[in-house]
Amino acid sequence: MADEDETKEYRWESGYEKTWEAIKEDDDGLLESNVADLVARAKRKRAALKATGAIQLGMMRHLFVVVDASACMFLQDLKPTRFLCVLKLLEVFVHEFFDLNPISQLGILTTKMKRSEQITVLAGNQKKHIEALQQLKDLSCEGEPSLQNSLERAMNGLKNMPAHSSREILVLFGSLTTCDPGDIQKTIKSLKDNNIRVSIIGLAAEVRICREIAKKTGGTYNVLIDDYHLKELILNQVQPPAVVGSMEASLVKMGFPGGTPIVNDGTSDSSADHAPAYCLCHIESETSSLMGPNGYNCPQCGSRYCELPVECKQCGLTLVSAPHLARSYHHLFPIKPFIERVQDRETTHCFACAKPFVEAETNVYECETCNQIVCLDCDLFIREILHTCPGCASDPVTAQMKTN
Amino acid sequence: MLELKRALDAKGHCLLEMPSGTGKTTTLLSLIVAYMKAHPLDLTKLVYCSRTVPEIEKVMEELRKLMNYYEKEMGMEQNILGLALSSRKNLCIHPSVSKEREGKVVDGRCYSLTASFVRARHAADDAVPICEFYEGFDAHGKEFPLPPGVYNLDDLKEYGQTKRWCPYFLARHTITHANIVVYSYHYLLDPKIAEVVSKEISKSSVVVFDEAHNIDNVCIDSMSVKITKRLLDKCSNSITILETTISNMKENDSKRLEKEYKRLVEGLRDATIARETDMALVNPVLPSEILEEAVPGTIRTAEHFVAFLKRVVEYIKTRLRVQHVVQESPAGFLRDIHTKVCIDRKPLRFTAERLASLIRTLEISDLTDFSPLVTVSHFATLVSTYTKGFTIIIEPFEDRAPTVSNPILYFSCLDSSIAIKPVFNRFQTVVITSGTLSPLDMYPKILDFHPVIMTSFTMTLARPCILPMIVSKGNDQVAMSSRYETREDTAVIRNYGNLLVEVAAAVPDGIVCFFTSYLYLETIVSSWYDQGIIDQLQRHKLLFIETQDAAETSLALINYIKACDNGRGAVLLSVARGKVSEGIDFDHHLGRAVLMFGIPYVYTQSRILRARLEYLRDQFQIRENDFLTFDAMRHAAQCLGRCMRGKTDYGIMVLADKRFSRADKRSKLPKWIQEHLKDTNCNLSTEECVQICKRWLRQMAQPFSREDQLGISLLTLEQLQSEEMQKKILQRAQGV
Repeated sequence: MADEDETKEYRWESGYEKTWEAIKEDDDGLLESNVADLVARAKRKRAALKATGAIQLGMMRHLFVVVDASACMFLQDLKPTRFLCVLKLLEVFVHEFFDLNPISQLGILTTKMKRSEQITVLAGNQKKHIEALQQLKDLSCEGEPSLQNSLERAMNGLKNMPAHSSREILVLFGSLTTCDPGDIQKTIKSLKDNNIRVSIIGLAAEVRICREIAKKTGGTYNVLIDDYHLKELILNQVQPPAVVGSMEASLVKMGFPGGTPIVNDGTSDSSADHAPAYCLCHIESETSSLMGPNGYNCPQCGSRYCELPVECKQCGLTLVSAPHLARSYHHLFPIKPFIERVQDRETTHCFACAKPFVEAETNVYECETCNQIVCLDCDLFIREILHTCPGCASDPVTAQMKTN
Repeated sequence: MLELKRALDAKGHCLLEMPSGTGKTTTLLSLIVAYMKAHPLDLTKLVYCSRTVPEIEKVMEELRKLMNYYEKEMGMEQNILGLALSSRKNLCIHPSVSKEREGKVVDGRCYSLTASFVRARHAADDAVPICEFYEGFDAHGKEFPLPPGVYNLDDLKEYGQTKRWCPYFLARHTITHANIVVYSYHYLLDPKIAEVVSKEISKSSVVVFDEAHNIDNVCIDSMSVKITKRLLDKCSNSITILETTISNMKENDSKRLEKEYKRLVEGLRDATIARETDMALVNPVLPSEILEEAVPGTIRTAEHFVAFLKRVVEYIKTRLRVQHVVQESPAGFLRDIHTKVCIDRKPLRFTAERLASLIRTLEISDLTDFSPLVTVSHFATLVSTYTKGFTIIIEPFEDRAPTVSNPILYFSCLDSSIAIKPVFNRFQTVVITSGTLSPLDMYPKILDFHPVIMTSFTMTLARPCILPMIVSKGNDQVAMSSRYETREDTAVIRNYGNLLVEVAAAVPDGIVCFFTSYLYLETIVSSWYDQGIIDQLQRHKLLFIETQDAAETSLALINYIKACDNGRGAVLLSVARGKVSEGIDFDHHLGRAVLMFGIPYVYTQSRILRARLEYLRDQFQIRENDFLTFDAMRHAAQCLGRCMRGKTDYGIMVLADKRFSRADKRSKLPKWIQEHLKDTNCNLSTEECVQICKRWLRQMAQPFSREDQLGISLLTLEQLQSEEMQKKILQRAQGV
């Protein structure tokens, strides 16, 4: 018991906990159990929504993450502080984000002292973002945040992004107040005009203006219950959102730079491509050194980059690699949602994890095409991580149809 | 609904407490309308009394929805006429009169355009201005009743514009045959107005008093008179005007005065006839005995009456010239006036009637100047009519400024049942309802009636959407209380401040705080300022304060709403019993939390209140303390109820006073609040309170959709018809 506590937090750090109440409220059939139930149901609903297949998803995303750095982020209701907890989770988020959305770009802003500061510009390089996040940890949180300033700033960054990409802002908002210079309604309106989705995650309580912004711009607004819930909420943002109507579909010109060269044996014609050169990602920093032959050259202008995906600084071409595109592919063809049905006696094991169904969970899920039955955990796992149904994949007939 | 039906069946009165935002209005309307349709003979009319114009509009909106539903389901036009009535100020469409801001001025100008003699004069001389809309109505409107439908104030105006009829008189005329009438309390309770407007409403009506938690005070106010020195000075002026007009008229047109004299000799017999046929609502100002007598000879001629009035006014003036507080009964007053200026009781009783008659005869069109004189005449009539249930208090100065001489004569009604009695007697069913009526048993006592049904309903909710808490001590364990002894204690004030700051840091958007009085609010805010608490508070939210100035307060309110809307967040400091606590809703984000600093006891040193308490004790066997606690708790509940306006709404209610946790206070809160007030939340410190708030707010912020409510607080048609659910409902109904 004591050990468990120590791993989480010290007793004197935790709030007033009335453990006896948790038990009592279960009897009521209200409160805790009810809320937990709501959360579980919401989870499932979201998963189902995402997987309906018919909706078009934005593959190319431009996302600004706004982190509240006001005084209230030093509160310790998330451990160790709200701010550190959020930064930590953001690191995970950035990683996951680029994993799932390889051809997207991300930028980070903070807001404090009624101002907004840009930490990283929109870029596709996850290392840079994670570094910046780690540096942020030493930042002192003070003053009030300004929702309007940070939204305006993010909007300026997003405005000029191509129309075929989705433009998004994610705000992690700890404060319950915002100190704005002007009328925030105007900002909301121009956000809407620019087709920018604003999703907000509140760290304390429901703030009406946040709900309004999210609603008007087509984003989501959620408030956390605890740090696990926060993690879930943040990671929900990894999934690309459904496209809202007016986004134009267009052909995007992309470059596929050649991979890392084979050791230069003189046989290759393109030896010029692999001559040592400064890479453009680091050319501005003082520590830049002459790169070796490794790196990616833009097929259009020949500039050298050390990482993909990236937008060419010289000619503006989007440079990606084929595997990136392949990973984004499943957004275009998500698997169909499984049908929820009441557990019957016939099937006793989950097809995916082979565990017997427990009595407590009454619902199981069935794949439409292969009719295999899985449990709730596997259902979520398949949808969020595998992106392929194990039943269909293992069935030789359907699997073959797919390859054909 | 079940209870209401029982009351209707029994043709008795009922008292219902239902939390706000749970469809109180809709329930009442739909059942009564259905009842009217099913038993058109037993129940002919619904009179719905509400408090303010916006509330009236809301009721009309509900009614319209109901009628649309009926139309959709039944597939035919409904033969039901519902309309709202308000003052001339809200209904006038005359191009210049309607521009006036003050109600009294509008009334006066309207009268000067529509009085019968003005119109007679117009017939002779075109230059005399009249109101074309009234003429239009008078010429055609009376024959053509309004087509069935639901008319709110704007609809009436529009209808009036198209037909060029006066909407106000149209509405007044239509009341007699409308099925549903929605108007303000005063049209029924204030005897002066009820006489004009409501006398023709038939007996088989249902009267609903909505938001009726203050109904006893309304009754008392409508029967009380306050006379100041300035008012008396104005009276003297009006009397001089009367004198000159009379002498003028004597020279020009003495016939008319003679005619009036004759009529008075015949007495008010006509009125008696009207009453016998049960056409008129009994006017409590004018008891039936008076009607049977003729106006006494001493005041029959105009000059004598004016001289008589002069004597009365002078007498009251001398009475006001006192150095100490005087309290006496109406009987004592009558004896005194008899010995000093030789005025009998009998002529005094006729003063109001006689003055009205004189003004009619003299064709004085601008009534606004005469309102002070009318007030005095009402006073004279009331004081000579009622010997019980009233008291006269003369105060030479105000308590706050004992050096400034500002004599006031209060003629105050102590018995709230006098004004409402005719309503109870006349109508077969009277429904008194509000969100906060607890403790219910007090109302029948002070209003002196016997309800057949008396129930308090709770809410069925899918989530615990109110969080009442009693905070009794600060973090330093010093008890918090607004008790007189600890009121000035800096530790208590500081603790209140800290509580507010901490709650402001934890609660989003709007917070409303209620103090017990303006005085207390001022002292607390000034010492918070010294302690730096105001600075801390403003870091989280903007601060607004209600003042006694109505314009200032409404400006503060507008900005408060703005601050809540754009996310800055705001705190409103206001006063229980003030304008904010009574009429304004803080739904959703406007009131996420309500803090009640102290128990809002009424100012117990006031002599009027003392007299009333004494009277209640003697007449109704209500102990002073019981009544004070009842009054304080209903105001507290009223303040708390401000933040909760519907099922999707949620709000925190903090009662910051040690004394709230005592059983006698706690048990007087409405049932729907008590239900959520757990024992564990009854004796909290500031820090505990904030912790609970935070956790609760997070839970409340979770997505809450329609499906979650289904089956618990919302039912689909199938669910409603299912057997299981019906059993449940029956259980609940019986449990109540």
